[in-house]
Parts: sequence; C-alpha cells; structure tokens
Amino acid sequence: MTGIRLDHVTKRFKTQLAVDDVSFSVNDGEFLVILGASGSGKSTILRIIAGLEVQTAGHVFIGDMMVDDYEPRDRNIAMVFQSYALYPHLSVFQNIAFGLKVRHVEKTEIERRVTETARLLGIDDTLTRRPSQLSGGQRQRVALARAIVREPEAFLLDEPLSNLDAKIRSSARIELKRLHSQLKQTFIFVTHDQSEAMTLGDRLAIVDHGRLLQIDTPERVLSHPMNQYVASFVGSPEMIFLEGNVESTSGGYIFGLGPVRIPVRGVGQPGPVKIGLRPWDVSVARAAHDQSVAGVVSGVERLGSSDQLFIELSASPGAPASSSTSPVAVRALVRAYDFNIGDPVWVGFDPDRALFFDDQGARLESMSLATRLG
Amino acid sequence: MRKRRGRKWIRLGRRIATHAILILACAFAVFPIYFIAVTSFSTLPIASITAQVLIPKESQLSLASYNAILFQQNSPNFATLIMNSLIFAGSAAAIGMLLAAFTGFALSKFNFPGRRTFVYFILLISLFPSFVMILPFYLMFAQLGLIDSYLGLIIVYSSGAIVFSGILVKNYMDSIPDDIEEAALVDGLSRTQAFFRVLIPLCYPVLGLAAFLAFVGPYTDYVFAHVFLTADTTKWTLALGLYNIANTDSGQSNYGLVTAFAIVMSLPIVAFYIAFQRYIIGGLTLGAVRG
Repeated sequence: MTGIRLDHVTKRFKTQLAVDDVSFSVNDGEFLVILGASGSGKSTILRIIAGLEVQTAGHVFIGDMMVDDYEPRDRNIAMVFQSYALYPHLSVFQNIAFGLKVRHVEKTEIERRVTETARLLGIDDTLTRRPSQLSGGQRQRVALARAIVREPEAFLLDEPLSNLDAKIRSSARIELKRLHSQLKQTFIFVTHDQSEAMTLGDRLAIVDHGRLLQIDTPERVLSHPMNQYVASFVGSPEMIFLEGNVESTSGGYIFGLGPVRIPVRGVGQPGPVKIGLRPWDVSVARAAHDQSVAGVVSGVERLGSSDQLFIELSASPGAPASSSTSPVAVRALVRAYDFNIGDPVWVGFDPDRALFFDDQGARLESMSLATRLG
Repeated sequence: MRKRRGRKWIRLGRRIATHAILILACAFAVFPIYFIAVTSFSTLPIASITAQVLIPKESQLSLASYNAILFQQNSPNFATLIMNSLIFAGSAAAIGMLLAAFTGFALSKFNFPGRRTFVYFILLISLFPSFVMILPFYLMFAQLGLIDSYLGLIIVYSSGAIVFSGILVKNYMDSIPDDIEEAALVDGLSRTQAFFRVLIPLCYPVLGLAAFLAFVGPYTDYVFAHVFLTADTTKWTLALGLYNIANTDSGQSNYGLVTAFAIVMSLPIVAFYIAFQRYIIGGLTLGAVRG
C-alpha cells in the first residue's frame, strides 16, 4: 500500500520560491504526471519526494511513513533522470546491478533479477557493453532497468523521454505505459510536454510557479480546466480566448464581443470576461450556416492530419463596416485541406463548449452561453 | 591551369617547412638528453662537443661511470639515495593525490559561501614559486623538530600538490554531471561512499596526472631537500647525491659520473610516465585546466 502524499510542501531557494504550499496524494499503483512549464517547480517537487532536496516546510509521506528526515537511499524509491545518469565506467549489467550490490544482495539473486529485467526491457543483448556504446533509446531503458530491478515502492521519472528522438519518443511512451500496467507500481512522471502527459497519466497535476493548479484525470483537465493557464496549457492546438464583456440588460446577461451579442446563462456579474474555445470546437464552412459569422482566412498551419486555420472575423452582417474594434481572431481545426489564405468563410461553434474565465484567469463555472453565435 | 599547379607546390613546400621546423624543435629538446647519455658512456672524463662525442666510436664507450656510481662503495650508497627519493616522492604522490581529490571534490560539488573567492585565492597562491615558503617552513619545522626527518619533508612535499592539483581535480569534476552522484545516492550510497565508489573511479585520468605531478616535483627537488635534510646522509635523496658528486674533486667535475648518475636517476620517472601515460595525457586533455 504505497501511496505518496505531500502535505503543504514549500521550498525556498534563498530568495526564490520554487514550491509554494503544494499538497496532493498519489494513489498506490497510479501513474501521476506532474505537468508544468520549465521552471515551474515540477522537478523540484520530484526531487523533494526523492530526498535530493530538503523542503523548507511541509511533509512528505511514502506509504504511511513520514520520510522528511530520511536520506534518498533509505526512502526505497527509484529515480530515472532526464540524462539517465548511467555510470560511464561500468557495464550495463553492473549499472543495473549497482543498487542491489550496494545493499549486499546475494550474487545469484542479482544475476537472476538483472537478466530478467533486462529481458523485460529488451536490452539483454547489451549487458556487457558500456553506456557510451549504446543508443539513446537503449540508455533510457538501462536507466529504467536500474530502477525496476530494485523493486522500489515508487518510481520517480524526471522527463525521461525528453532526450529521445521524436520518432522513438511515441513508441517509448507506449512502452512505458505498458510497463506500468505490468508492474502495477506507483509512477510519478514529470514533463513539460502536455501531449505526453495526456497520453501517460492516470491523473495530471498541473504546476505553475510552484503552485499546484489542478490535479485531475486528463479528460477532466481538458473539459473542466480550473483556470485560464490550465486551459491554455493542456490541449493542442491551444485554446482560443475571446475577450469581451458581460453586460447586464433587462433580459438578463449578455456577452458582448465587438459587434456580437450572445445571451449568457447562469449566475454571474457584469464585467470583463474571456471566453475559451477549443479550435476543434469551431466549425468552418464556405457558406453561411445557422448562426455563423463571416470571416476571412488569414493563415493556414498544416499539421499533417488536419489544418489549423487562422481566421479574422468580419463584423457580423448588418453591423456598420467602419467598426472601431480591432478584428476578432479565432483559430479552427479542420480536416479538409482545401482552405487557403484569403478564402471567405463562415464560422460557428457549439455554445455548450465555450468556457468562461474572469479577468484574473479563474474559471467561471456557472456561466455559459445560451445560444449560438450571432 | 597555371594556378592549380602552383597550389600543389605551395602545399608541398608548406609541409616540408613544417616538418623541418618540427624536427628542429625536437632536436633542440632531444639533443641535450642524447649528449648526456653519450657523455655517460664515454671514457673521457671531460665533456666536449667534438665529432668523436657526437657519434662515438665503439672503442670509446664504456660502462665505467655506471659501475662507479652503482656498485662501488660510496657514501651515501646509491641504493640508499634512490630508496629515499622513492620514499619521499612516492609518499608525496600518494598523499598529494588523495588530498587533491578531497580538495577538488569540495570545491566542485559543495556549495559553500566564499567558494569562488577561495578558488581564486588558491590560483593566486599557485603563481608563487614554492621557494618562497622555505623560510617559514624551516622555522616552523625546526620548532617542531621535524628537520632531518622523513615526516617533515614528506609533509612539505605533499602540501605542494594540493594547491595546483586541487584545482585540476575541481575542473575535471565540474565536467562530471551532478546527477551521476545523485543516481548513486538514490541507489543506496551515502555521500562519502558515492565519492569513493563512483566519483573517484571517474576521475582516474586527472588523479593519474595529479599523482604524476606530485611525484615528479619532489623527486627532482634539490632546494627543499638540501634545507630540510642536513647532516644525516642516510636520508639523502638522489638530488642531493647528484650535487655531491658534481661538487667533489677539487672543483674539477667528473662529467662521466655526473651524467651517468643523471641518467639512472631519470629512469623511475620514465618508467612512471610509461606506465601512466594514458591517464596523464587523458588528464591533461580532458578539460583538466581551463584558465
């Protein structure tokens, strides 16, 4: 029963606050991904769990034990580093066996465990070689093997796939996921790559500037982001934000965006807001359709399986041509490859998919659009 | 067409010139050694540059000088001299290497206040010739009764190694990524164990260089040995013995003896270098000294 729990953990480096009152639990056997931009504190959190950094405040629990005063070697965790940190002067076999040798495990037992783990990861033919003679993918697997063979209570992985070639990375991802389901151990995985996080994580913990913003399943993080940062960080291509105002009228609240007016459902108050839309929820057509707005394609990004169109909305039909507001820009993800710059298009979206955020970035869960655009 | 041909000749000319200069430079370096070697084998008790000496005739070669130095009854005995030199230089090499390793480790892998200043300070000190320390050392050691003792001179020789080799080791360790040490900590080692079992093995090249430097300095040293070993000739080193031979016989030196002595004296260094050259060159080139 080895869950891991952080209780109000804070870490301050001289003047810089790296980790800001972070608390969360990792369930036994769960694959938790800590997702954040560079410098967000995600690696520091991992290192605090490992014991390589000592927190300024707060407690770390591995299992039921409070491990604050324990050295890394006594915490029974294994770590895979971004650069793999293999011992260059030892063979692959010796690298994997190192942790066992240090703990005076019996020689035949070491032999058995190392060869078994090497076979599991497909590196049993490299056991006599040195790390310098291996490819990046092989080195990564040796680092994994070194962790697995120790049968620790939890695995801590610090961006282990970042140094791999892009081609190998996706197969390495799948292999890692498969490994996790085979081993049924707790994995804590740190990354800045949101697609990696979405693929691998049972749950995601989003971190920004040392603070934990949201911890949830990938689906919920995508559909119910707690704030604008989470909404824009997760999901590719990035979410579109339209800035407007909620105005109070006799008929209720209205969202105003340029010349566009949409009724708003739910509880709220007047003021500046942002609407967030996923590019794949924006529909684009060559002809006007129900409650769509006219626009012009200003850019095309060919992504391979689809195109992302950059569209500037014209004033809605009927509004004066000399609108003083700057053009509203949206992005849409389309499957058809035949849109080009300059094409006139008509844009619409499903109002239920729009998310509201206040001007501080917090999510306004109670507000939603009543009807379609226009 | 003309240009191309010209270019080939220029390249060839450049190569010849380069080789000629290099050969000349080598000659400058090697010739003194050759000259000394030839003189040591000659029967003539003088050293002179004549055609006879440059390429000696068979009849002129003899091992008389070597015989005199090694096997005849001298005071002090050559065997004693070489043993002492090896004791002093060997101990200094071992202790110096260890101390340099500790110093380099502390300066490289620990963050303590004033670290940068301390490094600059050490670099500054290494600029001074070691002789400036003779007077303070002598006065200190005389009070401690360490003159004319093995311990005293070994301490002096060992301390020299820390200053320069410590920086060498630090620079080398700086190039070893921190996460290798951290991996060792997670794998189950304490900080000290990680130092001896992971970091040190990775530093063998620079440690080899540090050991070599810590050996050569004391082995060839005359000044400190002369000051710290006075009356007791049983502790004399090769350097002192060499001076002794060079200075007897009413001012007229027997160059054959002197050069033979020098050749024999240099053999351990050559042997040491041959044994360790892989490490020494590795330590020199693998980013050992960077300003």
